[in-house]
Amino acid sequence: MEITEFITLLGNPLTVLTLLPITGALLLMLVHWLGNDERREMLANPIRYTNLGIALLMFVLATLIGLEEKFGMAWGEYLYQNCEVGAVSTGSCTLISSIGVSWHVGIDALSYPMVWLTTLLIPITMIVEWDAKKGAYFHSLILMMEGALIGVFVSLDLFVFYVFWELTLIPMFFLILMWGGEDRRYAAQKFFIYTFAASVFMLAGILVMYFNNDASWVGNITGKSFDFVLMDTSTNFIATEGLRSVVFLLMLIGFATKMPSVPVHTWLPDAHVQAPTAGSMLLAGVMLKMGAYGFLRLGVTLFPDQVIEFQTLLIVLGMISLVYGAIVCLGQMNLKRMVAYSSVSHMGLIFLGVATLQPLGIAGAIFMMFAHGIISPLLFAVCGSFKHHYHTLEIDSMRGLAHHSPWMSAHMMVGWMGSLGLPLMAGFVAEVAILIAFYMAFGWWVLLPAVTLIVTATYYLWSMQRTIFEGSGEAQLPPTMHGDEPRDITWHENTGMLILGVLAVVYGIYPDFFGMFEMMSDWATLLVENAIFPPEVNP
Amino acid sequence: MNLGALFSSTDMASTLIPETILLFGIIAMIIVPNLGNATFRLPIPGKAWRIPYFVGGKRFSFTSDPRLPSAIAAFTLFASFITALLSQMGEIGVADSCIAMREGVARAGPEWCSGGSVILEVNAFSRLMEMIFTAALLLAVIANWDRLPATPHHRIPLKTQRDEVVENRRLHRLLNNRRQVDFSLLVLMVALGMSTVALSANLFMLFVGLELASMASYVLVAFNKETKVGPEAGVKYFIVGSVASAIGLYGMSMLYIWNGDLSIASLHSAWTTGPNGMAIIGLGMMLVAFGFKVSAVPFHFAAPDAYSGASGPVAGVLSTASKAMGFVALMRVLIGITLVDDGSEWTLLIGVIAAITMTWGNIAALGSHNPKRMLAYSSVAHAGYILAGIAAIGALGPGEGSELIATAIIFHLAVLVTFKLGAFLVITLLECEGRGHELEHYHGLARRDPLIAISMMVFMFALAGVPPLSGFLSKLMMVSGIISSTVGDVSGSSLSDAMGSMSWVFWLAILIFINSAISLFYYLRICVVMFYDDTDRHLRLSRAPMIRIAIMLCTMGAVVLGFGVLADVLASAAHDAAMALFG
Repeated sequence: MEITEFITLLGNPLTVLTLLPITGALLLMLVHWLGNDERREMLANPIRYTNLGIALLMFVLATLIGLEEKFGMAWGEYLYQNCEVGAVSTGSCTLISSIGVSWHVGIDALSYPMVWLTTLLIPITMIVEWDAKKGAYFHSLILMMEGALIGVFVSLDLFVFYVFWELTLIPMFFLILMWGGEDRRYAAQKFFIYTFAASVFMLAGILVMYFNNDASWVGNITGKSFDFVLMDTSTNFIATEGLRSVVFLLMLIGFATKMPSVPVHTWLPDAHVQAPTAGSMLLAGVMLKMGAYGFLRLGVTLFPDQVIEFQTLLIVLGMISLVYGAIVCLGQMNLKRMVAYSSVSHMGLIFLGVATLQPLGIAGAIFMMFAHGIISPLLFAVCGSFKHHYHTLEIDSMRGLAHHSPWMSAHMMVGWMGSLGLPLMAGFVAEVAILIAFYMAFGWWVLLPAVTLIVTATYYLWSMQRTIFEGSGEAQLPPTMHGDEPRDITWHENTGMLILGVLAVVYGIYPDFFGMFEMMSDWATLLVENAIFPPEVNP
Repeated sequence: MNLGALFSSTDMASTLIPETILLFGIIAMIIVPNLGNATFRLPIPGKAWRIPYFVGGKRFSFTSDPRLPSAIAAFTLFASFITALLSQMGEIGVADSCIAMREGVARAGPEWCSGGSVILEVNAFSRLMEMIFTAALLLAVIANWDRLPATPHHRIPLKTQRDEVVENRRLHRLLNNRRQVDFSLLVLMVALGMSTVALSANLFMLFVGLELASMASYVLVAFNKETKVGPEAGVKYFIVGSVASAIGLYGMSMLYIWNGDLSIASLHSAWTTGPNGMAIIGLGMMLVAFGFKVSAVPFHFAAPDAYSGASGPVAGVLSTASKAMGFVALMRVLIGITLVDDGSEWTLLIGVIAAITMTWGNIAALGSHNPKRMLAYSSVAHAGYILAGIAAIGALGPGEGSELIATAIIFHLAVLVTFKLGAFLVITLLECEGRGHELEHYHGLARRDPLIAISMMVFMFALAGVPPLSGFLSKLMMVSGIISSTVGDVSGSSLSDAMGSMSWVFWLAILIFINSAISLFYYLRICVVMFYDDTDRHLRLSRAPMIRIAIMLCTMGAVVLGFGVLADVLASAAHDAAMALFG
């Protein structure tokens, strides 16, 4: 296609995808800051539109990449690399040459869905929070977030990966701190410190990997490289089995906290409840996926033997997250808290899917990342507009929502149905794939996760019945309304939710839309064939 | 000794260009502010012929200008920095050279580096450390430019106000630049002492340099005498410091009795054949002196008081340049003298001190609400990280891993100047309005002055080691060096075997990580109060352009030295320095 060729002329499209939002956001903030008070007022709107424009441009770019390429055909092949592996190992794309850091980006069937999802969600979050009086920096911070997130998904150099991984914290920290709820100060600090502390263990793992990855070029004082592809293709990468286990566990701490899995999940409900709507949408939609993505990319691809060794641990973690998340959901009175805990529950399914070591299970886990990335932002958008229009998040305070806000109730229904795994919705595809793979791997143990899914259905149906339908006709409004007339959601909120809702249904009916499920299952099959159970090499 | 021989050699001058410039700066600082219209009357009866000789009398307006001493000091330090840089790049002077005492005469030149009796050696390490020292002091001088040292309430009167000033006795006193001269003179003496420490290849020279810098810095701490805590801090710092120095000197004399020569090369060859008890006790006593300089636990007690009592720029110098000087001395002794091939005896001791230092520093910083004290304790914690690196070098012996750790230490000392000093400069800016010593004074800083608040945020994140700032890169290099020294010998096929065979140094790396996570609590607290909390003060911060320039320089340094080309340049330079240190 000509357009992508044109973009390639500008530079590597992935580099553009990563750096354009960050530099754009910084410039826009600078422009706003430099103006005097009158000009700032005047500039606020153009800056908002420019932010949205850049975000939409990102989405077009990412879609073009998807239309152009067919992903997942070969194992270990990364498209749109700025630098081939041979060139990396001789040090021609270095960023910090002396310690072996390169600027190496590439995309494959695992990262493409995440990149596309990010570029899709960013403009939607901006639209959903469009008219709220948030000032000029709000949307710029979201845009900055986009660059950091895409950087995590496309960078193939682990140093750069870690830098972007931590860089996502800074805009989110300020989103929560400046525009969050009552308790935002506590939540923002907890969020930052908790996830930073956990990813520091991941960094320790990365450093051990780094020192087992030789690549000497002139000016490299350590003689090692942070490059992921070099690690993956190296024949004797970390020969000591015990050390591999140590590294795997160190990284598991980082990824499990980000996902989050149960013993280390406590930052999530606080951050979610206090974050502004756009913040929770991005937290649930993409930031949680960073953990799962990192686990699949670094944990499973590089340490397949350790996945087999710690299969039981993964299943236990996954099951506990699934059950605990679901049960805690039952007792929640706060709408956002309930959705947050349902995220914990769903992330447990990802561990289960990976632990089956079946292509279908891993594909289901990846599709769960994708489907949850569409449905949970929808739910948080609904929660946000509920808070916006009814000034409360208490489930009990509200009866007969359908009567006053039909559109909001419709979106809430779609979101909850999708989340509980109603057939013909995106969540169902992922759940069924994981459960089938679980059956193939462990037989009738599948009943354990399957029964838990009933609890999920219970809490959603119960709260749905209470808030939306009960007391129809003579609706009970929350006391926080102070006698105001309830309104339905605004057009821009509706637009964003509609896109998400339609996508949730489309991916439920036809998971291959835009080639998604196919590329995921290709990737999973290739992973199992090549990495987890590699064919015996005949000498 | 023939004094003429000392200065006649051109080799000497070309070897010591930066130090010579510092020396001339000190002389100029003494002479120039004294110039006036003094004249000498010729003793001819009946005639009133006067010959001006300029020293004394009523001073000229430029020699009594309060900015003059700062200008002289800044120019001297800048010239010293640039010549050190250029001579290291090989543009001027000699890159690698030595000064040795032979037959009672000091001789300079590369050919004297071998053969013993070397007292000063010029190489990549000493030049880089010199640049670090002069850069830190230069920033402090710039920050002191347009405010009197330690007088928070008064700014230098503008030129247009000069006439009124003569009427006003108090302001007139301010126009008198004697205090600025004292301050700048002391700063230059600190620079000269630190440069001597960086160059010294002999414990005697090292001690002379250390004392020159320390004595001057005791006075600098006490210079803040308008505040209640300033003199107290100075006295406390002086007493504890001189006790530590005395112990160190005693230890040094033991080494002298044992070896009969204080040159580091000679001590090293003697140490490899096996030290006796007296030598080990002597070394331990010297560690006390240097431990005080780097504020390692348990010799850190004076540090928080000294930092919070001193004015902002001085505290910044104490926590960067002065600490770097302590680490240079420590590395000269521990790496230069006592590092033997198969690991050294002191490793475990330093490792334990490092673990206690970083943990104690962080926990104490959590509980301090004075940002200066908080930064002082965070500086203690950073000393712990560096000591952990030195412990790992000791465990490893000379080799590639050790060079990497030394590179990381030098890199860390260099970037510390940007973000640690920068944080103290932000405090200096608040001190201009007489505040800055309480956490409440930082409330709502982002609304009062967004640029300064963002700079402070950058410094805090860099101190905590958040990527992509330079503090992250230095911590990463440190930890990666420590990890590299341990992953090589891990064996075993199961998890528990691998954990069992892990060297204890690996756990130091993990402890550094845990401590960075703890430290986030108090660094983040400053960010939160700046951006979140409200304040009843809505005035903009004082203009103080020079302080702002210094802060901006620090911010840019903290960002660009963390990611990209300049980080690479600095890391390579630090690696060269580390190679030179290991010889």
